[in-house]
Amino acid sequence: MSADGAAVAVDGLRRDFGGVRALDGVSFAVAYGERRAIIGPNGAGKTTLFNVLTGELAPSGGRVLLGGQEVTGMRTWRLARRGLARMYQRNELFDPLSARQNVALALGAARGPYHLRPAGERAEVDEADALLERVGLADRARDPARALSHGERRQLELALALAQRPRVLLLDEPTAGMSPAETSAITALIGELERSLTILIVEHDMDVVFRIADRITVLHEGKVIADGGPEEVRGDRLVNEVYLGKVLER
Amino acid sequence: MTRPTKASLSRGPRVRRWAPPFAGAAALVALFTFPDWSASMEGSRYASTILRDMLVFAVYALSLDVLIGRAGMPSLGHAAFFGGGAYAAAIAAERLGTDELAVTLGAAVVVAAALALVIGALTVRAAGIFFLMLTLAFAQMAFAIAFQWTDLTGGSNGFAGVRRPVLLGLDLSPPDSIYRLVVVVFGIVALVVWWIARSEYGRALVGVRENERRMRALGYDTTRLKLSAFVLAGSLAGVAGALSAWSFRFVSPNDVGLGTSVTGFVMVLIGGAGTLLGPILGAGLVLYIERVLSSAIPYSQTVLGIVFIVFVLAARQGLVGVAVQVWTRVRR
Repeated sequence: MSADGAAVAVDGLRRDFGGVRALDGVSFAVAYGERRAIIGPNGAGKTTLFNVLTGELAPSGGRVLLGGQEVTGMRTWRLARRGLARMYQRNELFDPLSARQNVALALGAARGPYHLRPAGERAEVDEADALLERVGLADRARDPARALSHGERRQLELALALAQRPRVLLLDEPTAGMSPAETSAITALIGELERSLTILIVEHDMDVVFRIADRITVLHEGKVIADGGPEEVRGDRLVNEVYLGKVLER
Repeated sequence: MTRPTKASLSRGPRVRRWAPPFAGAAALVALFTFPDWSASMEGSRYASTILRDMLVFAVYALSLDVLIGRAGMPSLGHAAFFGGGAYAAAIAAERLGTDELAVTLGAAVVVAAALALVIGALTVRAAGIFFLMLTLAFAQMAFAIAFQWTDLTGGSNGFAGVRRPVLLGLDLSPPDSIYRLVVVVFGIVALVVWWIARSEYGRALVGVRENERRMRALGYDTTRLKLSAFVLAGSLAGVAGALSAWSFRFVSPNDVGLGTSVTGFVMVLIGGAGTLLGPILGAGLVLYIERVLSSAIPYSQTVLGIVFIVFVLAARQGLVGVAVQVWTRVRR
C-alpha cells in the first residue's frame, strides 16, 4: 500500500536522543479502518513512535503522513483537530474534575475554548454521560478523576479519546496494570469500536494483540523487523528470537 | 431515618443556587450605600476610605487570580499592568484634555492590555518557576521605564495630583463619588470574573492548570489560551490601577514595582486561589493589617509576614479553604 492511500503512514522516521537512536528509519503504512498493533521489547521505540505521531516529539528525520497529507512536525493540538486521538500509557487526566467534566473538556475541544456561555449545557452533559456509559463508568460521572481506581482511570482515558471523535486512535498499552476482568472488558470494548476508525495499539499482552490486530508491526532497537498478519508474525523466526519467544513462553 | 419530602428536595438546591448571588448583591448594595448609612457613626469617612482601598486591591487580586487560581499561571509581574493602567489613566487625563471616564478608563485598559499582550507573548510558553521569573523580569523592565521616563511619569517623584474622572459631565471627584465609583467597578469586575469562572472558557483554563499536555492532545491551542488569559487578567489589573490612581490621586514607580506584584500574590494566596471570594477577602485582610493594624501595633509588616507564612504552611487553600473545611466539619 502506498503512503498516500493510508490513514497513517511513516516514512524513514528517525529520532535521536543524544547518541541514542530511538527510531532508526521506521516505515509502515496503516490502511483506513485497520487495527494495527505495534509490538516489541522494552526500549524498542514504541512510545517514542507514538510521541512523534502526536507531534509531542519532533522527528530527527523522515516523514509522517495523516490521511495522505504530510503532517511532520505539526503541533499536537492541530493534529488532534485533524482527527488524531491518543489514550496515554500513564493516565493524563484532569484529576480534581469529575469524570463527566473530563469528558466534557474533550467534547468541547472541537468548538474551541472561546465561549462565555456557562459550562455544562444539557446536550453536552448527555453526550458525556453516554460516553461514560459506553466505557462502563456510568455510575462514576460525578466522582473526581482522582477518586477512580486504576482500571477506571484507564476507562476514562479511553472515553476522553473517543470524545474527540477521532479518525485515528492511538492506544498506548490500554490494558497496562489492569486485572484480567478489566482487561477482557476493555479488549471487548476496543473490539466493538466502529470499523471506520483506524487504530494503532501498543500492547504487551499478546492475547489482546492477537484478538484485536489485523496486522502487526514489530519494532526492535528502533527498526521494523517484521510487518504482517498475526500468523505471519507469529511464525517469524527473528521475531520469536527477540521478542515473542520470551513473551509467549512465560 | 426519615426520607426527605419532595418539597424539601426541590427547595434545597434552589436555595443553594440563589443564595450566593443574592448575598453578593446585598453586600454590594450595603457597600454602595455605606457613606449614607454610616454617616452618623464616628470615623465613617475614614472607614469608607479604607473600604475603598480594600476594593481597589480586591479588583487587583481578582485579576491576578484569573492567572494564579484559574489558569495555574503564577505571575510575579502583575504590577506591570496595575501600574501601567494607573499611569495611563493619570497621563490620559492630563494630556488628552478630557476627564471623561470612558476615555481615561479606556486608556488604562488599552495600555494594560497592550503591555500584557507583549509580555504574555514572550512568557506564556514557560511554565512554573520559569514563568514566575520571566514575568518578574519583564515587570522590572516596566518599573525601570516608569522610573526613568521622567517627562511622562514624573520619575521617582511620582505623578502627583491625578485628575479624577467625570462621568457624562457628572464630577466624580468628591470622596463619596469616587468611593461609589470604586464599588460599582468592583461589582462589575467581580461579576465578570464570576461569569468567566463558570463559562466554558473558564473550564478550559482549569484544564490548562490541571494538565496542559492533555489539553494539547485534545486539540486545544494552549499557548493562545494562556495568552488570552494573560491579556484578560492584565486588562482587569489596568482597571484596578486606574481606580488606584483616582483614589490616591498619586501614581509612583512603586505601583509597577515588585512590592505591588508580591502584595497581589499574597492577597490571592491568603484569601484562597481559584475562588471568587478568596482574593477579595485576601485583599481586605492585607489592607486591614497594613492600614488599620499598623496604627494600633508596631511591626504590622512582620504580622503580615507571619500571617502569610502560617497560611502557606498550614492552610494552602487560604481563608476560603479554611472556612469550607470548618463548615463541612460542623455539618457532620
